[in-house]
Amino acid sequence: MLIKLTGGTVYDPASGVDGVKQDIYIQDGRIIAKPLEGLTVDKVYDLNGKVVMSGAIDMHTHIGGGKGNIARTLLPEDHRQDPVARTDITRSGCGHAMPSSFVTGYRYAEMGYTAGFEPAVLPINARQAHMEMADIPILDKGGYVMLGSDDYLLRMLTAKKDQKAINDYVAWTMQAAKAIGVKVVNPGGINAFKFNQRKLDLDEQNSHYGVTPRDILRVLATAVKEIGVKHPLHVHGCNLGVPGNVQTTLDTIQGIGGLPMHLTHIQFHSYGTEGDFKFSSGAAQIAEAINKNKNISIDVGQILFGQTVTASGDSMRQHCNHKFASPNKWVTMDIECDAGCGVVPFKYKDQNFVNALQWAIGLETFLLVEDPWRIFLTTDHPNGAPFTSYPHLIRLLMDKTFRNDVLATIHPEAQKMTTLASITREYSLQEIAIMTRAGAARLIGLQDRGGLSAGNWADITVYTDNTDRQKMFEKPDYVFKDGQLVVVDGKVVSTKWGTTHVVKPEFDASVESGLQKYFDRFLTMKLGNFKISDDELTEDGRGSITVHPLAN
Amino acid sequence: MSALTFTLKQHPDQRVDMSPLVCQKLATLSVADIAALTLQNGKRSPRVDALFTITGTDTQNIVIKNSSDKLDFIGKELDGGCITVEGDAGAYLGIGMQAGDLKVTGNVGLYAACEMKKGYLEISGNVGDFLGGALPGNKMGMKGGTVLVKGNAGERVGDHLRRGTILIEGDAGDYCGSRMTAGTIAVMGKTGRYLGYAMRRGTLLLWQQPTLSASFNDCGTHTLGFLPILFASYKKFNSKFADAGLAFNRAQRYAGDMSEMGKGEVLVKR
Repeated sequence: MLIKLTGGTVYDPASGVDGVKQDIYIQDGRIIAKPLEGLTVDKVYDLNGKVVMSGAIDMHTHIGGGKGNIARTLLPEDHRQDPVARTDITRSGCGHAMPSSFVTGYRYAEMGYTAGFEPAVLPINARQAHMEMADIPILDKGGYVMLGSDDYLLRMLTAKKDQKAINDYVAWTMQAAKAIGVKVVNPGGINAFKFNQRKLDLDEQNSHYGVTPRDILRVLATAVKEIGVKHPLHVHGCNLGVPGNVQTTLDTIQGIGGLPMHLTHIQFHSYGTEGDFKFSSGAAQIAEAINKNKNISIDVGQILFGQTVTASGDSMRQHCNHKFASPNKWVTMDIECDAGCGVVPFKYKDQNFVNALQWAIGLETFLLVEDPWRIFLTTDHPNGAPFTSYPHLIRLLMDKTFRNDVLATIHPEAQKMTTLASITREYSLQEIAIMTRAGAARLIGLQDRGGLSAGNWADITVYTDNTDRQKMFEKPDYVFKDGQLVVVDGKVVSTKWGTTHVVKPEFDASVESGLQKYFDRFLTMKLGNFKISDDELTEDGRGSITVHPLAN
Repeated sequence: MSALTFTLKQHPDQRVDMSPLVCQKLATLSVADIAALTLQNGKRSPRVDALFTITGTDTQNIVIKNSSDKLDFIGKELDGGCITVEGDAGAYLGIGMQAGDLKVTGNVGLYAACEMKKGYLEISGNVGDFLGGALPGNKMGMKGGTVLVKGNAGERVGDHLRRGTILIEGDAGDYCGSRMTAGTIAVMGKTGRYLGYAMRRGTLLLWQQPTLSASFNDCGTHTLGFLPILFASYKKFNSKFADAGLAFNRAQRYAGDMSEMGKGEVLVKR
């Protein structure tokens, strides 16, 4: 089947196309160059006056893994209040802050998203995370495996194992957990929590292992680079949410010594201690450091006002924040020797000074970081806000008047503490396309997604240009996933199954001899069962695995 | 104007969601409009007149005749007016009720008066578990109003109760007053095990000596001046609670649950 999209204004930063009228041809799921004369076009979509982008990619969204189910169990009201009925082609579901897996897929697709990446796949729970993501329709997915607070790595560091051994362990874990990246959450802090430490600074030692977060970040960032994984080490830093953590974040950037590093939900790590309330914005300093250090990329983790739930592997910080739980119920748990988990429901209020300033700090970060290829649009779903608020966020970024109107309604003291009103920048459509498409694909290392040139998979979103950007991005006219029309006028019209993106870095097979003993001695699972085989993701006939190339 | 009367034609096999049939939602509708509304019945959605024979016109005075325990959500979020149920009612009777009167002549299922805010709910028969409780996961149950039960109540009466009064002429099951934050539960009959389990504040008023957990402390016998005032406020009810002969002002006081805040009290008639 040959499909032609004609007359649309194309924004494809991956090939440098910025608002040019172009025709796009789709055959067998992929975008092709102009076909030979005489070939019949089966279906033509007239896209005059429409905006065409590739399908959006959410590079950091909590859509799979145990914490989601804990959040669902903890908040039945979140599901009661937002039921979704089945239709002939879609399944029923529910949930506002943490929707059910099927509803997650439909709602993402209905906003023009075609891929989402789960950033906190615990190795020991990776099977469950993949099984859950296998129930998310339409979207492609992938996961970053979480390391850094696992006892095995900390033991290796205490025993002064060489970098080669650590590289093998990281590569082996990525293959075993079917990951495309490596994430570290509060490096070593989750583990230190188990030894009764309640905070851990960048240069503070784990009281049991004697290892500092700085050591952990450096060996992991080195490992990720040396085994050739394109997605830089994905870092949720120390001291999340602590006033004054801007210094920790700046030190983290310095401490990595030029290695590639992605700092995630940086909004939560950009707080100063100035002002009457001892809470201020560090966004300007952070943005300056990002602009200067080309090895660093960030996603923002914007908060937006309303009810949501925070779900994080950072049990240390979540335990500290539990007193802010709204409604007042929360869970913090240990997860074997791997990490932890904390789920705290949150209601961000525009009349609360701290929340209002958090909102402004996120937007300041977006607007002060110059290079859209190194900053990504996230709310750290569901931690800052549910992903369904992205169109609203895009309008805040693209419309200065709207942004200032909202700014005028937030807590007055917070208005005084932010420079937001003086920032005139408005994101262009091309910059939005970079942040949510081409940049994300490049950062994750997806070889044939996030672009509209020939050879790419035909993940395409078509919007009607509208000065109200929220309306525009809320309701795409068409969404194609692998060439199949899945959404028309913001409603799912057909469903399919996306693929799971992975990388397969090489390792020395001897790595398993040490691991075998460790598994037998300490873990609830045998080594052989721990490793997820490709078949587990594909044998039901709807999942598939896409292996992306390594950097070297 | 005669009461708008829905007479159930035959007892349904599947449950019926009665939430559309409350006074405030019907106020502006003609009888023909009301007949054309649909009700969720299992997986079907029949019209109201397929399930009920409709007579009368006063939408502020609704009567449900020949009622069945399959009729759920009767009087959901009722905001003024009067609903009388002749027969049994299902689960979630008067859930989130905000004002008005709701009376049932028969027995009632689970979660009656769940998260009720205000108004008066009277049940002549027995009532199931979680009377005046909170929906699973929610932290606040009934927040105001009065519930009178002439028969017996099930387990977990007033679970997470926040405010308001629950009066039970008969017995109450296990975990009566569990996790209550505040409010009053009065039980003339027997109470079960784990009375006031994890209660924080509030009052359990009892006519018969309960079995109390170790986490309740005996505070001795007291003559309490507020009790006659409290009983005087019950005089308006068509109930044993209005009977001056059953009122008392001398009570044994127990404080608990000491495994929680311990500011709750159990007052037992002496």
